[in-house]
Amino acid sequence: MKIILKYILTNVKERKARTAVMLLSILLSTTLLFVSFSIGVSYESAQRKMARGKAGRATVSVFAADSSIDTNDIPDLPAIRAKVGMLEGTSLYHESGYYETVDLIAADLSELNQINKPRLLNGRDISDFSGNQIILPDRFTSKYGIEKGDTITLQISGTPVRFEVVEIAAYDTVFLRQARGATALLPLPTLAELLGQTDGYSEILLEPAEGIGTGELIIQLEGALPDGEYGVSEIVNEAQIAADARQKSMPFFLISFFSLTMSIFIIYSSYKVITLERLPIIGTFRSIGATEKNVTRILLLESVLYGCLGGLIGIPVGIIILKMILQGMGQSLTQGIEIPVVISLPGVLLSFSVAVVVSLLSAWLPVRRASCLPIKDVVLGTVEEKHIPRRFIVGIGIVLFVGSAFLPNMASSNILYLAGGFSLLGLIAATILIIPLVTNLITMGLERLYGLIFKNEGRLAARNMRDNKNITQNITLLFISISAVIAISVVGNFVTTYISDVFHDAELQGFVDGYMEPGFVEQVENMDGIEKVLPVYVFENNVQGNGITFSRLEATDNLEWYSSMLALHYTDDTMQEQAISAFAGERSVILSESCMERTGFSIGDTIVLSNGAGENSYMVTGSFKSRAIDVEAVIFSTYAVSDFDATAYDFLAYTAADPDAIMVQIRDLFGDTSNWSRTVEEFNTDALSTMGAFLEPMHSMTYFILLLATVGVINNLLINYMQKRRTIAMYKSVGLSNSQNMKMTLIEGFSSGLIGAAIAIFVSYMEIQTIFIVAGPKISMVPELDAWIFLEAGALGIIITLLGSVVPIFKSRQIKLVEEIKFE
Amino acid sequence: MKAFIDNIAVEGKNIVKDFKLGDTTIRVLKGVSLKVLQGEFVSIMGQSGSGKSTLLYILGGLDTPTGGTVYMNGTNISLWGDEEMSKIRRQKIGFVFQFYNLIPNLNVEENIMLPLLLDGKKMREYKKQLNHILEVVGLSDRRKHTPRELSGGQQQRVAIARALIGNPEILFADELTGNLDSETGTEIMNLLRDINHESGQTIIMVTHSPEAAKSSSRIITVRDGVIE
Repeated sequence: MKIILKYILTNVKERKARTAVMLLSILLSTTLLFVSFSIGVSYESAQRKMARGKAGRATVSVFAADSSIDTNDIPDLPAIRAKVGMLEGTSLYHESGYYETVDLIAADLSELNQINKPRLLNGRDISDFSGNQIILPDRFTSKYGIEKGDTITLQISGTPVRFEVVEIAAYDTVFLRQARGATALLPLPTLAELLGQTDGYSEILLEPAEGIGTGELIIQLEGALPDGEYGVSEIVNEAQIAADARQKSMPFFLISFFSLTMSIFIIYSSYKVITLERLPIIGTFRSIGATEKNVTRILLLESVLYGCLGGLIGIPVGIIILKMILQGMGQSLTQGIEIPVVISLPGVLLSFSVAVVVSLLSAWLPVRRASCLPIKDVVLGTVEEKHIPRRFIVGIGIVLFVGSAFLPNMASSNILYLAGGFSLLGLIAATILIIPLVTNLITMGLERLYGLIFKNEGRLAARNMRDNKNITQNITLLFISISAVIAISVVGNFVTTYISDVFHDAELQGFVDGYMEPGFVEQVENMDGIEKVLPVYVFENNVQGNGITFSRLEATDNLEWYSSMLALHYTDDTMQEQAISAFAGERSVILSESCMERTGFSIGDTIVLSNGAGENSYMVTGSFKSRAIDVEAVIFSTYAVSDFDATAYDFLAYTAADPDAIMVQIRDLFGDTSNWSRTVEEFNTDALSTMGAFLEPMHSMTYFILLLATVGVINNLLINYMQKRRTIAMYKSVGLSNSQNMKMTLIEGFSSGLIGAAIAIFVSYMEIQTIFIVAGPKISMVPELDAWIFLEAGALGIIITLLGSVVPIFKSRQIKLVEEIKFE
Repeated sequence: MKAFIDNIAVEGKNIVKDFKLGDTTIRVLKGVSLKVLQGEFVSIMGQSGSGKSTLLYILGGLDTPTGGTVYMNGTNISLWGDEEMSKIRRQKIGFVFQFYNLIPNLNVEENIMLPLLLDGKKMREYKKQLNHILEVVGLSDRRKHTPRELSGGQQQRVAIARALIGNPEILFADELTGNLDSETGTEIMNLLRDINHESGQTIIMVTHSPEAAKSSSRIITVRDGVIE
């Protein structure tokens, strides 16, 4: 055992360059995998935090049927870890024509700190908080230029109340919110007095004890609380939050997928060459009596050493990088959200296991094959690689490629994600199988072309690429790297656009939420430069269809404008015309696809809409998806008036020659009346500052992919050089000069890069199709593919290969011809 | 033997070659001097480690001496740089090695034409010469095969053809039968002898086989770094 360890350590020590490259490959792979996995989890955690908003760790809310509740009303259950009574009110802030809803909250600070401690910008704890003092988030104060110590006026129930801004908090914990506007923290007695609620709270938030689920706590509470006096509800839908967060963190997991694929390929190809190099040693071991098992064990121990070292160093490096990225991400967010650094045990174990297992498996396959070879062949150096007919391999590759490309199209929705995963893997695997054939075909063409441009050296370089395993290996690695960069960039850009540009394709240029009489709308229609005005009646949780409540039903008198202004994507192309003509006739309703799925209604169904004020039968005449609005049902406004007593509009969208000028006039029209109005440009700027910063780390992760690719390509080129040394020496022995060698190596490098880039561009396009087919049912937006991303990534691949050629060029200048040629 | 036997093809003067093995320096050639005339077929013999192959590589310009000089057609090649030496290898000398050293993914024709291609020549202009050399080495029917599809003897024939395609002034051969069975080895030696006899090709060959050396016109024996 001692001698075996000594042999392994000597190997590692003597082959410094190779050891360094191997270790670097494993280390970078581990780091990248760990960071991409952890950042995805951290990002999900941040998303959950945002979605929970003021509730923090609390998951259950208890409220009284008669308006106020006290913490003492909650029974002392072991299932409850912490509780906080929240007093809640609302106010309106008016500044420079903008109206902002400011939700007021107050709580016993010691209780609040247990569930969701407010985080002040100065890092201190809240103290001496009393009277007309207010704590505001910096997202709000920076927007309106409010400083600590300033006085602001809020309209509470129509009465102006002045507050001293005593502290500014980070847009975090209790100040996080899903809805527009801002949240402000007031001293409990102050808010109680302002609301005239001197006794009790608006709701009690509860955090379940360790190991207790939200559902379980709700059941226990419902059992313990007196019937009919209290309501118990889940604060947020955890499953929904997890699903949303996962969708947004998709690019990070995509990075993990590609980095894993690249790691496997780099490590496997390195070991394959190393094992080939070691054949004489394997022969020696076997000839002096080592069994197959002994040889396998000796060589595998070395790979375990690399794997463990790479994993052990890679994870701490990953943690440092993760913290740097997340800190940068938090700082770049103007709201200052603290992104939790989630270093999960599964993440650590997965990354470490991948480093060791991939290293071990990558070594095991070639080592096992080598140790099974007949001793005589190994000793005499007469080992020949097993020849598998090319037609067979290419045939499998083509079938796999076609199958993988079509798989997501054929899969049903419940196995779509699985099909997508198989499709991505299949596309990569199939391409790896086809690359030798494609390379040969392309180089046949290049041979003629280069013959004309670069003369015989060009022709020989192209010829040399044919049936050359090193070259195909390089092209394969490049293809995986470039396609990863392209797919991640495209998906990342799409996610940024998707999240930050909800009005993509929507015609509207400005919109208003507020109470608007028909006369108000008329004044807007008469404004100078106005083009289209779309007033809408809104019923929130007010109208039922066959007894099922619609979260939002809207009514319009112009479905055509409604569809274009709010970018409604009808389920099929003919549906819009049918729906418009149906609207002009009898009572009809169009439903969102998610509503149809939730309610089970179908096109052609007749449903009874009711809201207490009236009821009538409506026929479902269409279905749609829209990112601009979260409406479930749309009806004709005439029927909203006649059936549901609609009198004033609640929403208005417009287009105009100068949307900003119209917005100023609309805000003036509102005066001191509560409203929320934004031009689309204003809205997008706000959204982009939040989401763009969130997704920024993903772009930096693509550099990691490129770094890994560069290390992989250099590793490959070095291995290539190690294998090619003898061939170079053969060429030199018949008269190849250093300058000719440089010319040929550069031509080979350029051509490998070019072929790798071309294949990567094509395959990444296919991969992107698969990704969007899988994500498709959940998104109502067609991705726009930017040709520049494809071309830039391709060019980068060519540059990497050319740069990687420099080392072999210099090394081959120092080649010792006799040593290389004399012995086989 | 032809008339131009008087001219010197290659001359080594006081050649010294040292190798470093860790901290120790080993002198493999200890001041060797020799002349090979044009049209000669010289065999260099000696035991393993005697320095015979080192001498061959230095004479052929594949290795540089630690001391002394090598003259080819009266010019000191020891002073030449990579560009000039590469040109000499393409135009004036041909090498045949024990392990053939053929480019595995090029076919027979391409391997043979390699020195000419590297010299910027067009393949189609040398078709006649290629056909002739393929006929000489008896591989006309295997011209499109790759080395891995040929036997050892056939591969060595390709290597000889490659060495001769540019009509070199000197053909260097290092243990060219060392990797072949005796029958094939005899065939290869007969081929070399015929080439020397028919075209007056200068050949310098290293061998440890007295049988192979019989084909040559002169035998030089190297022992412990000096010519006996």
